[in-house]
Amino acid sequence: MPKRLPARWQPESIREFRTSARRRFDEGMALAAAGYRAGAIYLWGYSAEMILKAAYFSLLGRSETAVLTWVGDILPAINAGRAMGIAWPVAGQGHNVRAWAELLIAEHAATPGAAYPPLFGQEVQACGQSIGQLWSETLRYHKNVAYLYEMNQVREAAEWLLVSSNAL
Amino acid sequence: MPRKRIGPESRIGSAKKELAEKLAAELKSNREFGQPVIYEHAFRTGKERVTVIWDAWHDVPLQERSATILSAYELAEGPESRDRIVLASGLTVPEAHAAGMLPYRIITALRKNDPVTYDQARQAMLEEGGSQLLNPRTVQLRFATEEEAMASRQRLIQRFPRTDDVWMIEREITAQDLAEARDWAQAEEG
Repeated sequence: MPKRLPARWQPESIREFRTSARRRFDEGMALAAAGYRAGAIYLWGYSAEMILKAAYFSLLGRSETAVLTWVGDILPAINAGRAMGIAWPVAGQGHNVRAWAELLIAEHAATPGAAYPPLFGQEVQACGQSIGQLWSETLRYHKNVAYLYEMNQVREAAEWLLVSSNAL
Repeated sequence: MPRKRIGPESRIGSAKKELAEKLAAELKSNREFGQPVIYEHAFRTGKERVTVIWDAWHDVPLQERSATILSAYELAEGPESRDRIVLASGLTVPEAHAAGMLPYRIITALRKNDPVTYDQARQAMLEEGGSQLLNPRTVQLRFATEEEAMASRQRLIQRFPRTDDVWMIEREITAQDLAEARDWAQAEEG
């Protein structure tokens, strides 16, 4: 009897986030090609979220396979972002792609010698803003069809984060 | 084969010239109150994060707000500001409030015989930086810190003498408060 899907999951970690971000991005492309724009956006938003979280915890020095938890890692990161003055609303706080992008930029800036080059930092922020204006995890509750330009904006931003993930 | 190159400018967004010029003038004027409120957070590395709370951002996409802030700094302080500012964010007052960044608020308790009318109070609160974006009939005068709220209250009292009882400061509980309370409780538990 094969193990069920949840039983086959690895614990959440930087490595797991990075590989599943790639997988969700590809699945989003398949949905987009089949005309399911909102479904594509839904997956690309998560893909971006995982890329940014992986980059942030990597910057903090977590190992690739260290287990990341809500109480031990995610929530303290959100609170650190709020303490830095980043606008981080409570609703859907773990999934706020715009805020995660800004936290990553701010943490780089606060680390000696690690600040992003200005244009690169602006692109990271713009990708977070682009996705943040069109995506939220509650997208699944809504029947609306996304416009083509909206799908393209989210795809371009998620794709840029994915191809830049080694530099984040 | 057509070869199309898309530069980073398409993602970053373009600055709103008129808003950039207004903001640059505000940066030079160093006004003590009113909108926009500009927060400059310096990191130990010499880099800076800038947040501009301004209702004029209403209907402006986030990317354009950031580009406009950078452009305003460039106009006011020269091109080197681009290297210093690593993160530029623009928020309206309701957006900043929703994010828990403006927990202090001045509210009025007007009575018939007070030496200030409803219209005067409303106008004064708007000039202090009040927002009507959520509801055009209500002025929301919100602040990030108690010091800012108290300074504003003092200015209002100076403007309308004997109105100490009219202007009240209230504070809302934010997610940051809850996080700090939990940290404190955990520390107490050892």
